[in-house]
Parts: sequence; structure tokens; C-alpha cells
Amino acid sequence: MKRENPFMVGLALVVGLLFLSPVLYSIWISFETAQAYYTGSPEFTLDNYVRAVSEYNFARYLMNSIIVSGLVTLLGITIATMAAFAFARFQFRGGDLLFGATVATLMIPSHISLIPNYLTLAKAGLLDTYAGLILPAVSNGFAAFFLRQYIRGIPKALDEAAYMDGATPMQVLWRVIVPIARPAIFSMGLYIFITEWNNYIWPLIAVGKDDLFTLQIGLARLYRINPGEGLVDWPLVMAASTITILPVLAGFLLVERHLVRGITMGAIK
Amino acid sequence: MSGITLRDIRKSYPNGPEILHGVSMDIKPGEFIVIVGPSGCGKSTLLRLIAGLERCEQGDIEIGGKRANNLAPQNRDIAMIFQNYALYPHMTVRENIAFGLELRGMPKAERNARAESVAKTLQLDPYLDRKPGALSGGQRQRVAMGRAMARNTSIFLMDEPLSNLDNSLRVTMRTEIKELHRQLGATIVYVTHDQTEALSLADRIAVMKDGDLLQFDTPEAIYDRPNNRFVAGFLGVPPMNFLPVAQLPGWQGRQDLMVGLRPEAMSVHLDQPREAALPVRLVLSEMTGSDLILHCDSAAGRITLTSGRKDRPRDTSNFWVSYDLDQAVFFDNHSGTRVDLASAIGPSKRCAEFRNGSSRQ
Repeated sequence: MKRENPFMVGLALVVGLLFLSPVLYSIWISFETAQAYYTGSPEFTLDNYVRAVSEYNFARYLMNSIIVSGLVTLLGITIATMAAFAFARFQFRGGDLLFGATVATLMIPSHISLIPNYLTLAKAGLLDTYAGLILPAVSNGFAAFFLRQYIRGIPKALDEAAYMDGATPMQVLWRVIVPIARPAIFSMGLYIFITEWNNYIWPLIAVGKDDLFTLQIGLARLYRINPGEGLVDWPLVMAASTITILPVLAGFLLVERHLVRGITMGAIK
Repeated sequence: MSGITLRDIRKSYPNGPEILHGVSMDIKPGEFIVIVGPSGCGKSTLLRLIAGLERCEQGDIEIGGKRANNLAPQNRDIAMIFQNYALYPHMTVRENIAFGLELRGMPKAERNARAESVAKTLQLDPYLDRKPGALSGGQRQRVAMGRAMARNTSIFLMDEPLSNLDNSLRVTMRTEIKELHRQLGATIVYVTHDQTEALSLADRIAVMKDGDLLQFDTPEAIYDRPNNRFVAGFLGVPPMNFLPVAQLPGWQGRQDLMVGLRPEAMSVHLDQPREAALPVRLVLSEMTGSDLILHCDSAAGRITLTSGRKDRPRDTSNFWVSYDLDQAVFFDNHSGTRVDLASAIGPSKRCAEFRNGSSRQ
């Protein structure tokens, strides 16, 4: 086995710690009482987490975030994969135009679509619903574009072999293309999940009910909780922040092994 | 068993030239057909049309007596082996072989048993749980064959299946494919640009060039009586020699003909022989094992012939080459098409004179 250069390992550790330090510091603060934080005396507690969940409804916000981000990711990646397969593999009338339109959506700033989306959902009676939070984010032009490029790199002979084996186009997609494109699909899924998890603006305008708030909305509201004398209750905010980042971190660790390498090796001589 | 009939197949892509110019072929059930031709001649396109991987807009394809132009590939009951094998990289050898059976709803136990039996035939049983990435080129090629065999179809299409193998493995696999055909009795359409494969495997060979079918006949007929100069030159190693007939002793008047002589139809003589012969000068000799390939210059042009190692003339030496006119083929100088021997050499008297070498200069 190749011996690592101790200097490079040390440097990597230092840089890693530097990047991690704000997160570690915020987790540290989340276990302090507000008084201890402002007076500087060491006093540790789990009370901030208990308050975030019981007093400020963070368990509900967490569940909402998981439902919304999870469904947006699942539906978004499914639709994007199917669109990408169609764009990559089939010649159909208007296909190039449709793909051009899909790519063009990447050039439109998301904020421009806020008002039209809001009006559309208001007319459909979908404001203050999960559907209202989820549907606008489901169509993802970038994911369709990214996956189409990836699928184009998969040898077409594999599709043809599957057709000769008796597969239908949908079987080719789900049994052959998707398993091979798994690293790209998981990467894109993670990207969609994190983007939706961090989404603040759309949930802010699409829902007004506390029961439908996501973590980001809940987190913003915490800044208004005043421990007295015009101070922000930072330990409480940091406990809520920790609740916000931990599922993403866990999700990343869960899918990380799927992101590492492609698996087309051996398919084609 | 099913046969395949192709009638006036034409193919062109949008905004592109025509690739196939009306190819017709009648393939009998159980026949081993090899389509051969240089790169870009349309042989793979023809195979893909039979498979249903390309749409056939002009002409008719009949499989087992039924028109198949509009049938999807999965409904044609055809198995195909691809040039690059196209194995599913995420599946094991067992899953690769059994995938087609799974798609057709065969129960798991039954399809696994079939996969194992096929793997045993192809000596792949130790590798059933490996993925293609962990196999050698030859093993991958066998898996591709196994995948096709497991389906138990009556027609196999093979698109240059041996072109990615090294020479010794190619020779071994060639024998195995021939043996497989004997065992299965299936109709096989095999595409290659390797003429040795074509001659050794085929019941009949289809020679293609630039989208046209030039000749469709048995290997013997194609080798001995090629329809034109292209076919004559394409099959055979070393290739046939083409000499202007007018340069041969006794044929000075015939400017309109070329004679085609296979290397093995010519013999080396260190001294001038009694029969008609050309004086030549050795330019280069190549050792092929049991034989030598001699490249010589003559008044009629460059001649390549084979000779036993014992008869080897000295380097750059001058010697004589006689030829067997019974094995010669004549071609029209302009059209390149074959001309019958009788019409080529005219009156029988001259023919007799020529054969006896009495016209020797």
C-alpha cells in the first residue's frame, strides 16, 4: 500500500477542521444555556433541543421538511430520469425543441417564477397544502439535462441487447439504464434534496399555517424569540440548526457509496 | 427453424445518402450465412434491419414466412450477439444469461437451471456469480453467446462477434461457433469483414460493397467463380493476382481482358518450364510457417504467390512462374465482371494451344 505523506495528511486535517469549525462551534453552543452563553460560564444542557421540539414545533417542521424534500426528490428524479431517457434515446417530432426549452429553463432566475406559480396555485386552491409546496419543484430542467448527458454516455448497444432480449422501453429504462446511471441519479437526487431542504422563499409564500412550515421557516422565526435585553437566544437557534443539518448529513452518508464510481466497466469491450 | 427472406431492401437515413440499394436474399432455415464486405458496405445495417433495431421503410423482410417489417425486435424471436458484447455490467453472468428468460416470464428456478446448463456448455460455470467487469475478453464473448443461446430462438444474428478477440482465441471461438451451429441447427446470419471467418464458417456467403449485394453463393463458388474483380480480390489470402491478359504469352491481342490467378494456381520454376510461364524477379518473401509468400515483379505487373519452403528461390533472384489456366478467372477490363473462359479465349484451337503452352514466347 502506498504510504501517505504525513505533511499532506496533517494539512488535510487542519483544512478539514477549519471548514468544520463553524458547525462544531454551533453544535457546542446548542448544548449551552442562554445564560451560560452570554455570561461565559460553562453550563451544559439538552434543554434547547427539548424547547425547540416541544415549545416551537420543530418536530412537526422536521417532518414537513422530510415529506416535502423527500417527495420533491422522489418525484423530481423520477420525472427527470424518464425525460432524460426520452431525450437521450428517442427521436421524436419536436424533441430537439422540447429539449431546448428544458435547457432554457436553466437560464430563468427562479424568483421570476414565484408570482406566476403563486397565482397558479392560488387558482388551483393548492396554497397551504403539501401539494402546493411540492408541485412547483417537481419539474427540474437541470436534472433532466444532467441525466440526459449521462445516459448519452451509456452505450446504446446495451439498450439494443435488452430489446433483443425482449424488453420494452420502460423495462430498458428501469432494468438497464437506471442501475447503470445510479451514481448520477443519486448525485442528482442528493442535490435536489439539499436544494429543497434549504428552500426558504417558496415555503414562506406558499404556506401560512404553522402546521405546514418547514424547518427553514421555523428557524427564521426563532430569531424573533427574545431571551431579554434585545438578545437572540443563540443556543436555541443553534439547537434548531443542528436539528436542521443532521438529516442532510445522515442522508449524504447513506447515499455516499452510490456516488463514488460508475459501473459500466465490463459492459463493452 | 425459421428462414429469412429479404426483398429489395433499401435504407437511407434522414438527409443522408442511400446506404442499401435494394438487397434481396433468401436464407433457408438452418443455414449459416456470412455477410462479408469492407467497412461501410452496409452489412451491419442489413443485420440491424433483420433484428428490427432499424426501421425498414422500403422492401420486405420476412421471418419464418411472415412479414416482419413492423414487428418490434422483442417480437421477432431472434437472438443477437453484438460486436462489443453489450453485457449488462450491473448483472452477474447468471443474470445476464437469464435476463431474456426473466423478461419472458420464465419462473426463477427454471431460468436459473437453463442459465447454468448454457454456462456449462460454454465452460462458464465457474464464473456464474461474477460480473462482466471481472471477466476476460474471451469469457465476455462466451457470456454474450450464452445470453443468445439461453433464449432457444431459431435465428441468431452475430455482428462481428470475434473482432475484439486476439488471434488464437478467435480461431478457437470460430470452431466453437461452427460446432454450436451444428448442435443447435439454428439459422445464423453472421457479419464480418474477416474473409477467413467467412470462408470457414459459411454455408453461403453474401459479399457486399457500397450497399450492393455483389454475390450470394457457397464459399467454393465465390472463391472459384467470383462474379467480379471486387469479390475475387476481397476473398483469399494472399489476394488474387490480376494481370492484363495481353501480357501473357500468346495473348497479345486481347486488350479488353484481365486474368485473375490465385497464388496457389501459380508455381515456381527455377528454370524455364515447358508450359507457359512468366519470367519474374523476387522482390520480397514472407514466411507464414509451412509456406512462403513470394512477391515478384514481372512484365505483367506485381505477382504474389505461395510456395513451399523447400522451393524457395534465392532473394532477388530471377525465376519463372507458370500458371494453371483451369483455375484462372477472366474479367472484363472495363466493367470488372467475370467473363466465361470459352468466350474469353475464343476458338478451341487457340485454347488448346494456350493450355499446352505451345504459344510460349
